[in-house]
Amino acid sequence: MIAFLLCGGSAFAGPRVYQKPSEFIQSNLGAIPATQAITLTSAQQKQVRAILGHNYRTKAIRYWTSKGKTAFILEEVGKNEYITTGIVVKNNKIEAVKVLVYRESHGWEVGRPAFTKQFKGAALETNSHLSKNPRNIAGATLSVRALTKLARLALFLERQK
Amino acid sequence: MTTPPPKRRRNLARKWHRWLGLVAAFPILWLAISGVMLNHAQPLGLNDRMVTSGWVLRHYNQLPEGKPAAFRVGDRLVTEWGGELFLDQKPLLLQGDLVAAAAFKGQLVIATPEKIAIFDGSDEMLLELDDLSLPATPLQAIQVINDRLHLVAADQSYVLSDDFFSTEKTTQAVSLAELEELLPDEEKLLAASIRTRRGMPLSRVILDAHSGSLFGWPGWVITDLSAIGLVILTLLGMRLFPRRKA
Repeated sequence: MIAFLLCGGSAFAGPRVYQKPSEFIQSNLGAIPATQAITLTSAQQKQVRAILGHNYRTKAIRYWTSKGKTAFILEEVGKNEYITTGIVVKNNKIEAVKVLVYRESHGWEVGRPAFTKQFKGAALETNSHLSKNPRNIAGATLSVRALTKLARLALFLERQK
Repeated sequence: MTTPPPKRRRNLARKWHRWLGLVAAFPILWLAISGVMLNHAQPLGLNDRMVTSGWVLRHYNQLPEGKPAAFRVGDRLVTEWGGELFLDQKPLLLQGDLVAAAAFKGQLVIATPEKIAIFDGSDEMLLELDDLSLPATPLQAIQVINDRLHLVAADQSYVLSDDFFSTEKTTQAVSLAELEELLPDEEKLLAASIRTRRGMPLSRVILDAHSGSLFGWPGWVITDLSAIGLVILTLLGMRLFPRRKA
């Protein structure tokens, strides 16, 4: 049993890299366009705080635009660690969400396409909530919340460009 | 081999049940109580309470391994310790080996092999650049020359635009910076800051004590033996349950 626990412990240690951010941008936009960034004003910071519950990790947030689509690589803490997520927005609606790097020990189920495809078509309502929310995953509540916040943030940023 | 008579078997079961119960009582009580606490961690506020006891934190190896080394940028100290980066005593979100640090137009630029982070005057991270925005990686050096930020990546020198998003190749020589050791007092101050800053959430400490992993392999063994003891106690209890014949 101890050997099993030891093996299990080490098997789930370390981040799960599903896709490199550069590959995500390339696969969704066809190439890697020039980097652009939104430097958040204090009013925008306030709205970001309303979405995330805290400031985003950087004051300037990068994005890449091509063919009417905007791609963001955003990060938010699930429980203890950052979840790196790629989000593509088109016409103020989510076109794709993909978990790129998952560092938490629990809740990796949010990286499954069956979960992330629920965001497709979601828009931002006037109260800055999503027009459709994903179903919760038992044991991954905090990761689900983190991804939902990032989807809201991406839609908010799209309007600020 | 002869089978002991029912009365003797019953006495034997009672004896084992009594002594095994005594030995396993405390670990089982702990498993039960901590299990209930973990199930109600949110309402009990266990995720928000932080444990800062040095004895507990020592089990989590909070101090990075190896010797810290640093760059001095004006009166600021950018330190790398076991792949973790600190600005003075404050941990940075950026991680990795420290390549260089430089002051640039009122901002602090810190480079690791994979990333460049720009910090503003209030020590907030303004921007983080990775392979999506850099001309190449791994980064080998950064240096401010003639008020422009230069970098060396994959043996090629580049000069960055003021907004950091475009680069041009250059033949300008960029010198590689050398990390220096911290003074003993600086190292002590940083170590003390790491120990006190990095409290562990109480829920995490209880979870690790519940599973036994907080105490390493002896903890796991005790937890496993307690669980096995509980199974045996249950079986012995069931064996003792039927009423005696009159």
